Amino acid sequence: MSGVLKTTQVGSLPKPDYLLRARSEFARGEIPREELRELERRATREWVEFQNEIGIDVVVDGEQYRGDMVAFFAEELEGFSRGGLVRSYGNRYYRKPIITGPIRRTHPITVEWWGYAQSLTDRPVKGMLTGPYTIRDWSFDEHYDSRRDAVLALAEVIRDEAVALQEAGAEYIQIDEPAVSTRMDELDLAIEALAVVTEPLTVHTVTHICYGDFHNAYPRMLDLPVDQIDLELTNSRFDLLDRFAEHPFTKSIGLGVADVHSHRIETVDEVVKAIERTLQVIPADRVFVDPDCGLKTRSVEEAKDKLRVVVEGARRVRDRLG
Amino acid sequence: MTARVTVVGSYPKPPHEGGEFALRGTLHALDRGDASVVDVRAAQDDLVREVIAEQAEAGVELVTDGQVRWDDPQTRFAEGLEGFGTTGLLRYFDTNTYFRQPVAKAPVARRGHIVLDEFLFAKDHSPVPVKQTLIGPYTLAALSVDEHYGDRGALVAVLAIALNEEARDLAEAGCEVIAFDEPALARIPGSPPGDLSLLAAVADRLTEGVAATTVLQTFFGDVAEHGPGLFDLPFDGFGVDLVAGPGNLEAIHEFPSDRILQAGIVDARNTRVEDPEALTREIEGLAGAVDPERLWMSPSAGLEFLPREAAQRKLAALADAARRFRGDG
Repeated sequence: MSGVLKTTQVGSLPKPDYLLRARSEFARGEIPREELRELERRATREWVEFQNEIGIDVVVDGEQYRGDMVAFFAEELEGFSRGGLVRSYGNRYYRKPIITGPIRRTHPITVEWWGYAQSLTDRPVKGMLTGPYTIRDWSFDEHYDSRRDAVLALAEVIRDEAVALQEAGAEYIQIDEPAVSTRMDELDLAIEALAVVTEPLTVHTVTHICYGDFHNAYPRMLDLPVDQIDLELTNSRFDLLDRFAEHPFTKSIGLGVADVHSHRIETVDEVVKAIERTLQVIPADRVFVDPDCGLKTRSVEEAKDKLRVVVEGARRVRDRLG
Repeated sequence: MTARVTVVGSYPKPPHEGGEFALRGTLHALDRGDASVVDVRAAQDDLVREVIAEQAEAGVELVTDGQVRWDDPQTRFAEGLEGFGTTGLLRYFDTNTYFRQPVAKAPVARRGHIVLDEFLFAKDHSPVPVKQTLIGPYTLAALSVDEHYGDRGALVAVLAIALNEEARDLAEAGCEVIAFDEPALARIPGSPPGDLSLLAAVADRLTEGVAATTVLQTFFGDVAEHGPGLFDLPFDGFGVDLVAGPGNLEAIHEFPSDRILQAGIVDARNTRVEDPEALTREIEGLAGAVDPERLWMSPSAGLEFLPREAAQRKLAALADAARRFRGDG
């Protein structure tokens, strides 16, 4: 059965050592931007080639040119200033962006990278955006009067970027909203903002939300105005599937079948079982198979091994379905 | 003193923009084997001196050591108590920060002083009184995995005994104010409100024999739904977050006249600096509900969620507002 159980990825992939080195050298002013850019293109090319080779159905560019998923957009948008250091955990710190003026999109942000990746493969490359709710939640705001005002302003610029990706030919556009799960109280606001983004889109739209208080947010979560919701199911031990049996999951699902926080590589059997369990509650043409989340925290080899297992598991189930 | 200016607890560890981040560098060197724990201790001592001086200079009248020696409150106390281990990273309420989740694996008990030495160092290096914060028993239990007791109330009870021992020792060593941080009691966006009855059951045991001013400190959300019974608990003062918990303003209308209210009116989660005049009006409003002698002013939560510059500017704005309120600004 073709066209079912398509394999894909949540977005980020680990940066190879040569790129990590180049990023530090660039930060210290030791190499020019053009040299860094060339290595980002090389890493993107290698990741797209790898996905071609193992047969991923919906490809990503791997975000080799992005650092933090929010800071990347903040740096490209007007209205943001670079913030000071705040702690993430332990001895780790990051620069949290600050909204200091009206947010405007003055140029395309991801379209060129998307086009480069698409030029390297015949399979569709997914456009990858960070959602308005998450960009606001992970920034400071000194400009807007309320969280809602800032989120809705961001929704308009992310919508413009999504439309540009659609016009460039993207068949899949994902708008990541990992922050939604930390504050399910504001799910309505996230839904309202996402509706602004996806309203003009005719392509297949996806949102990814990380593990959180899904039980309380389900089935309201199904109001998220996208075609597919990608969920971190391995990390939540697939307990949501029982809820789907009670109240049908009416959208396509991005089924996370590999834990991105663990070094251990899942077995093909584990992936097969997870998919088969899901097929009892969601039909195969609405199931996309992928890792739980972006793989950027894993080593290059771990990420590749996990992706091979995901693809092989999906293939086995597909074969059984005939 | 009316409208005493204080803080909740944590303070940013990173330096001012362009400064050298010595503590981070020393911890990295420790990981590489190029520095010792003695070096780390020295870097922490330097930073404690710096953040205490900075708070005092901004006008804070009751400071903390900024908790700059801690990775996070949960880990600090889990490491200081017998019976605990730690596991994976967990998000700290609705912030974008993470902590290592404690695991109660065996009977929990205090094996020795936990933060007493830190307090003594801070006290010796502060021109103003130093408050010591302890994690509250309810919050530590709520954020931990329990593999031993199988009953949240039982874990809260043993934690209350251990934390009481620490608080008594702190008081004996001259600590005038001890705050028990209980954010898990509040209704924080994304989490259900805490179960007040579990803390109420151990509150006497927690504060018994502690010869210091004790404060039950909440932040990140509303405590209004616990009703006025919250303020009947045997603490000398209560800290509430009036930024993230707008319902708290309603709750303190019934604030008892014999307790201290620590009002968090400066937003510890956003860099926009408050206007001192607006803050002054807020203090005036609060003084209508609470005797100004028993009214303390603070940021809404620990300041480590902000960059260093913003933290310092916010404390200065708060102190400015308190001075205006007193009529000496």
